[in-house]
Amino acid sequence: MNPVKSMLACAILIGFSLPVLAQSGDYRRGLEKSQTCQACHGQTGNESLMPSYPRLAGQHQDYLAQALRRYRNGSRSNAIMAGFAASLSDQDIADLAAWYARQDGLTDLSID
Amino acid sequence: MRSLWIIALLLSSQAAISQVQGDAERGRTLAYTCTGCHGIPFYKNAYPTYSVPKLGGQNQQYLIDALKAYRNGDRVHATMQAQASTLSDQDISDVTAYLVRVTEKN
Repeated sequence: MNPVKSMLACAILIGFSLPVLAQSGDYRRGLEKSQTCQACHGQTGNESLMPSYPRLAGQHQDYLAQALRRYRNGSRSNAIMAGFAASLSDQDIADLAAWYARQDGLTDLSID
Repeated sequence: MRSLWIIALLLSSQAAISQVQGDAERGRTLAYTCTGCHGIPFYKNAYPTYSVPKLGGQNQQYLIDALKAYRNGDRVHATMQAQASTLSDQDISDVTAYLVRVTEKN
């Protein structure tokens, strides 16, 4: 493979991996940013203040990110969450989702 | 006499903590449909692409509110709205009573 072709191949590969990198999130930054969330969901996401508030611990990272984006753009409506999500950047969302997803908590159903 | 009061208080506080409404055994049967998506690890919603949420061990009131919001159209998701539209209030209580207690993968 000539140098130009291999450079092109590298550029394409990097391009494909960018969306994945953007979504990965830093769970340590997520913990730092989760102070507000903790008031209602707890530090690990298992300590819901009210029974109507969901447990977040162990939830799929991409589902948590999707939920926050939908609260932010208004396609999922909740007066409390809309206010918090409005102030979050894409990176904040990725970091918060990474933190709560790595905690022990929720499980998949199993087929009996 | 005082110890009876203490026991009564403890029992009532326990009831408040583990307050689950509905028939989890009946809910287990109803939840069979849910496993078609929520029982397959890393199953993805088609568009946009994201994992369908884990439900096992979720808080019951949150699940009840979610199903009712899908049923009345406040929360939008084609498949979930279709599923929820078939559920009565009793069905929702029962199926969520079951989901709460699924806390470990078998």
